[in-house]
Amino acid sequence: MAKLKLSGISKTYGATVALHDGALAVDAGDVHVLMGANGSGKSTLCKVIAGSVRPDAGAVLIDDTPVTISGPRVARALGIGVFYQELSLAARRTVAENICLPDLPMTAGVLVDRKALAARAARTIALFDGVAGDGFTADATVDSLRADQRQLVEIMKALASEAPILIFDEPTSALDRAQVERFFAIIRDLKAQGRAMIFISHRMDEITAIGDRVTVIRDGRTVGTWRLDETDTATIIAHMVGERSEPPGARASRPPQDETMSGPEARAPRDIALSVRGLGGSGFTDVTFDLHRGEILGFGGLHGQGQSAVLRTLFGALPRSAGDVTRGDTALPLRTPREAIRRGIAYVSGDRRRDGVIQGRPILENLTPIHYLRQRLMLARPSVLQQKAQAAVDALNTKFAGFAHAIDSLSGGNQQKVVIARWLMDRPDVLLLDDPTKGIDLAAKADLFALIRTLARDGMAIVLYSSEDAELLGNADRILVFNGGRIRRELAGADRTRYNLYHAAYEAA
Amino acid sequence: MTAMKRYPFLPALVILVVLLVLNGAFQPRSVSVAGMTGLAKTYLALMLLAIGQTYVVYAGDIDLSAGAIVSLVNVSVVLLMEHWGGDGLSVLAAIAIGLATGLACGLINGVVVAALRLQAIVATFATSIFFMGLALHLMPVAGTPAPAAFWRTYGGRVLEVPFVFWAIIALAALLTILARTRLALQLLAVGDDAQGAYQSGLPATAIRIKGYALCGAFAALAALCVTGDTASGDPLVGGKMTLFSIAAVVLGGSALSGGHGTVVGSLIGALIIGLIGSLVYFVGTPSEWQNLVQGVAILLALMAGILVGRKARA
Repeated sequence: MAKLKLSGISKTYGATVALHDGALAVDAGDVHVLMGANGSGKSTLCKVIAGSVRPDAGAVLIDDTPVTISGPRVARALGIGVFYQELSLAARRTVAENICLPDLPMTAGVLVDRKALAARAARTIALFDGVAGDGFTADATVDSLRADQRQLVEIMKALASEAPILIFDEPTSALDRAQVERFFAIIRDLKAQGRAMIFISHRMDEITAIGDRVTVIRDGRTVGTWRLDETDTATIIAHMVGERSEPPGARASRPPQDETMSGPEARAPRDIALSVRGLGGSGFTDVTFDLHRGEILGFGGLHGQGQSAVLRTLFGALPRSAGDVTRGDTALPLRTPREAIRRGIAYVSGDRRRDGVIQGRPILENLTPIHYLRQRLMLARPSVLQQKAQAAVDALNTKFAGFAHAIDSLSGGNQQKVVIARWLMDRPDVLLLDDPTKGIDLAAKADLFALIRTLARDGMAIVLYSSEDAELLGNADRILVFNGGRIRRELAGADRTRYNLYHAAYEAA
Repeated sequence: MTAMKRYPFLPALVILVVLLVLNGAFQPRSVSVAGMTGLAKTYLALMLLAIGQTYVVYAGDIDLSAGAIVSLVNVSVVLLMEHWGGDGLSVLAAIAIGLATGLACGLINGVVVAALRLQAIVATFATSIFFMGLALHLMPVAGTPAPAAFWRTYGGRVLEVPFVFWAIIALAALLTILARTRLALQLLAVGDDAQGAYQSGLPATAIRIKGYALCGAFAALAALCVTGDTASGDPLVGGKMTLFSIAAVVLGGSALSGGHGTVVGSLIGALIIGLIGSLVYFVGTPSEWQNLVQGVAILLALMAGILVGRKARA
């Protein structure tokens, strides 16, 4: 009998289908590994169980009883404990307070029982005795801890719930060897106690070390469940990909460039638009690459391995801690976006609401800020601006009723086109695309990539980070695969296959 | 954990001591028992309001209607006491209704901000106008006197000790208990990371509503002090107090972004504002310059607090 059973789970966000037909059955005493590529729906499935996402359809059964998980509170009451990948900690509360926060021990009905709280925290902290590192005490505030120690607090918080069902969404990404081994020893104990656990990791060696079964999700659908001792890594990755191998760019709408064009060694140094050496910053170290004119350089790998941070650092939006960026003989300090823009660097983020769209303002105002900055304009005639803007939006096939309409009246895809058009009024040398197609419909995506390829052909240097691997494989000349904040592998030419990309992303660590 | 982290109000405490010394230097009588009693009588209301504001700020919210609640409770209590004749029992009944009024106003704020998800600044600004309008409707002109039984008690002595000192002792006890409640910890957790708190299974909306309700109740207590101090009803009495209460919270070392702070700090912050007011008076500033000098002094205190804090952390 399965402790937890999900079937037919579906969830759509606007036009994007996150889950189509999600199914999962976890037995008591099992560590059930969930695997899938970026955007395959495994996180959504976990969030459905955790109660932070409500599915559109489908059934959830605990101990064969149908349940409705309407929120995280309900999930806890049903005996589900969650380790959140992005952590759910209060930074200025202590370790002990964080561990006990979801279920504070009480006296007299309203007062926190500090003694019981300290005792429960101490019991949980003792599980990691000796591997937690310096400064890890019950009354240290979380903001004074290192990344790995914070991750331990989140693990302890999940463990302290003593829930019969536990979800660990990438719990080991920041932990060192000793910490992982201790954690796995604890998991083996929990297994013996009969807890049902869901485990997401992108380290293949960990998965085989701790997992009992694996369920593979692809394109929002559960492909199947296998016993880990009856299958191997290659088979699992093949299931994730859907086929074993494919020629490079098989799905691409563009033939791969011949090697003399895209091979980096064949290029003269003057063709280098940006030369990045040993770049370090928040969440990434020692990133080195050359970006050539006329090239689309892909950043690949799993979510959040430093790709976005590199792009934001190049744009001056995040501080740089090490390394040099040069163009020719000129060093580019790139301390602020303003400086980066003046140096001809453009940045388009998939997070339109945060980084792109000026909400509630007319389309014309959304098109022109970069133009003002690069031309050092103080005053401009709307009719002249409009002419220049028209040319930029036409290149992108943007549909809109008039320049005076608020940008909010457009669809997500057209909003993103306006944001990109903003940069095209004055051609940048370097275009940084940070998962630019997030939440955009297919037609708009096609327009976007057609434009990007035209821009590259005209000599613009483009970096494309995409969380959708098909976009990378279809458009990038070279792909740098990131893992843990470092470039682990470069895929060029015939190596650019889905299989290689997944392999590099999952196994490089 | 460093002392600065555990006691974020340390810089404020330094400023408070400096101000006390300055007050004593310019007017030796101000640091006597009588002087302290006067200070406490006048600024107990602001202390209470700043404390209430702190709980809202804990959760990353803000209450711009706190002063308007003071006004509304002030006029309600005075009118009720007058209506019922002003004897002991009617005073107690009016106090109870006043506290309930403050609590209800806080609940309205909480529902509007946390449940209906309006922006805290704008929503509580709107409710402040509503509460003030209600106060003006109840008492269009200031001046209705409070019964003698009420303000004589507030300004008098119990067992040879001024009543306000008893009130401060009771307040200290109340704050000690409140600091140990689950609510205080939950408010701080919500203010620290609202999404994380929600994902941890905390009822984030209910917690924020409770924070506002608590602030409303403290505003009502502040209104009782105002009534005791001024001995009359005034529909506009609280208007100026709102931003003073927020300034006191910030002076006390709490973060307006939420998740970090202490009520003790806010209490000290309110006293700093009070002492600045009396110092400006004691040094003999001409009346038309008093506001300006007071404003500059508060600004300096804020900057000093930030600088001292930065030094201590470094």
